[in-house]
Amino acid sequence: MSIEPIIGRYVGVDIAGTPQRIYFEEAGQGRPVLCLHTAGADTRQWRHLMNDAAITAENRLIAFDMPWHGKSLPPEGFETEEYLLTTETYVATVLAVAKALGLDRPVLAGCSMGGRIALQLAALHPAAFSGFIAIEASDFQPAWYDIDWFHRPDAHGGEMGAALVSANISPYAPEAERWNTLWMFMSSGPGVFRGDLSFYTGDDSLIGRLGQIDTARTPVHIIVGAYDLTCTPEDARRTAGAIPGATLAVMDQLGHFPMSEHPAGFRPFFVEALAKMPESSASAA
Amino acid sequence: MFERLQGMQARLNETPHLQRLGRLFSETVLLSVDGDEYYLSFDKGRLVQVMPGPSRKTPYRFGLITDAAALDEFWQPLPRPGFHDIFGLVKLGRAQISGDILVLVKNLRFFKEFMALPRPSGVEARA
Repeated sequence: MSIEPIIGRYVGVDIAGTPQRIYFEEAGQGRPVLCLHTAGADTRQWRHLMNDAAITAENRLIAFDMPWHGKSLPPEGFETEEYLLTTETYVATVLAVAKALGLDRPVLAGCSMGGRIALQLAALHPAAFSGFIAIEASDFQPAWYDIDWFHRPDAHGGEMGAALVSANISPYAPEAERWNTLWMFMSSGPGVFRGDLSFYTGDDSLIGRLGQIDTARTPVHIIVGAYDLTCTPEDARRTAGAIPGATLAVMDQLGHFPMSEHPAGFRPFFVEALAKMPESSASAA
Repeated sequence: MFERLQGMQARLNETPHLQRLGRLFSETVLLSVDGDEYYLSFDKGRLVQVMPGPSRKTPYRFGLITDAAALDEFWQPLPRPGFHDIFGLVKLGRAQISGDILVLVKNLRFFKEFMALPRPSGVEARA
């Protein structure tokens, strides 16, 4: 038997006038690193890195479940609301959580839609962070599927969503972690994956903002897996090329959920990314 | 290809979890490989008939149109990026999906795992 070092708690925040009870987990000490999960999933995607003693010896990893995801309940009145994530709400949520937790210019690490919003924050609110690790992140991809498939009364959106996103998992991923990754999609709330995809596949506002990002002040490192069909290496390369000073790493044997689908394969790329970030917020000021 | 499909038929019908996943799947699927047609008739998750075409009178719910070289890559133990998934084949331009795609999506895990049956499992691939 072993008890993991991850600690989970709740924090109440106000996001655009709506009270939200946010679940967050953390492990480690030192430089704060705020971690964002992908669409249709939750904080559990980060558990392997949060249990990595060598990483948490010098980094305080914090991850939170977005409202409607994981252990963060939807807001009061959700039963008559259509969940549709927007860039504005997502930005406000990340800023509100960072402030509520008293994080001093954390590194922001996000995957997929979390990587997309990390780049938005790099453009719009760089002063709130010390650097950005954008995983499976790019400027924009329109949907190659119909997002309405994943929220309908005659079928299980979570199971269909999991079957779809399995296309983005590398065949090198250990079977157990492939299925743990898919379980999060299978068990996401009704309409949540669709609502996330509405943001991810519908808002192209980042394209015009990439040139605003000042990597001399806040470094940007993009990581992408070769087996990612949604955000391909070409997408990530195009995006990195539009951000002066951004760096890029391509993971030949990983897919769209690297920290979750193949923790051992992802670890060296995340360690490399952390090494590119400022040691502390003070050194980046 | 016909023998390959017969092998997949036998393997599907002895795979309990696919029987369970496909218990509501009773449809005919067209698989077209290098222009050769095969009509796969499923009944409650069992593949009950593999009928070679061509046929202009066999209705099918959805079709997967691809080529043999792409399927050979797809069935490798560790396929190259894009060849690891039927939607990857589509993205690479090596496959098309026709017909009622929503029926495919509702049964996507079942159909994907059926199509991947010839691929050695992760454990076998790493042995």
